[in-house]
Amino acid sequence: MAVNCATSSSLFISKPSNKPSPSSVTTTPFLGFSLAASTKPAVQSKRLFKICCHDKPAVIPAEQQWMFDDLTGPDVWNKTWYPKAKDHIPTSKTWYVVDASDKILGRLASTIAIHIRGKNLATYTPSVDMGAHVIVVNAEKIAVSGKKRTLKLYRRHSGRPGGMTVETFDQLQKRVPERIIEHAVRGMLPKGRLGRSLFTHLKVYTGPDHPHEAQQPKELPIRDKRITKQT
Amino acid sequence: MNKKEVFKLAKGFRGRAKNCIRIARERVEKALQYSYRDRRNKKRDMRSLWIQRINAGTRQHGVNYGNFMHGLMKENIQLNRKVLSEISMHEPYSFKALVDVSHSAFPGNKAAAAPKKEGLAVLL
Repeated sequence: MAVNCATSSSLFISKPSNKPSPSSVTTTPFLGFSLAASTKPAVQSKRLFKICCHDKPAVIPAEQQWMFDDLTGPDVWNKTWYPKAKDHIPTSKTWYVVDASDKILGRLASTIAIHIRGKNLATYTPSVDMGAHVIVVNAEKIAVSGKKRTLKLYRRHSGRPGGMTVETFDQLQKRVPERIIEHAVRGMLPKGRLGRSLFTHLKVYTGPDHPHEAQQPKELPIRDKRITKQT
Repeated sequence: MNKKEVFKLAKGFRGRAKNCIRIARERVEKALQYSYRDRRNKKRDMRSLWIQRINAGTRQHGVNYGNFMHGLMKENIQLNRKVLSEISMHEPYSFKALVDVSHSAFPGNKAAAAPKKEGLAVLL
């Protein structure tokens, strides 16, 4: 482990952008130890690499020369990565399945929204759909705490005067159980064109079956410890 | 600026804003104001994106962004967030090494036992 850290930190030392000034190596202790002591290569074949914006040329150890030989390709390290089309092909997205029985509504919806949006991935980009598909089964068995089962209200308005319809959680669960989870997740996804297309990646089903066996969905990894209803 | 310059800048605008000078001039002025403001905002947005990416990368290893950065500061690792986000995407094993370094330096505050509240009877 220590060796790993040492090599990765010596990797970063030789990047010109991280050094305060290449010439005063011994006076500015970078990373808590002086550079001269650690990265003095035994081989004397140091090639000098001229950077236009610095006065003095930077000295590169021989074993790291390969990084500075070919500078004709795209600059991976200095330009923030943005996904290309081949980085988010819809047919190769991951599919997750989660059983909603006895899970707290909001906590489950939050986890689902994070996975659909792609915020759990290091390659997260807000303007691109990098997320996964999520299948929810047993939607009618979703749980809520406290008295929400009879007191939580779902409202919708038809647009005409007097056109507001109010339903309790219980009534909606008897009528269209999928809508409860859909409503919760839609509120947690971004609103806009991309958010609406993300919402289509959520599939909710009552009962334990789903028609997506061909996508070989995996179990959704849940990190929330309080997501299961305590009795 | 004269009309020719305005229309050159108004390329791609919606509706009459690309064709009719009175509307185009207003929209172009607004566009230039936005571009001035956004050259400053871009730096903020980029940093925020790097932080979100680092957060996602470290959470995959069980550490959150705050504790990770605190551990790096303690170890005096001065990598900036841009480079850390690129490492988390392109060099996963190096990033895991960094997360381990940070975790060993600062395991987090939960280790110093957070006392359970006795008032809460049931979590629900």
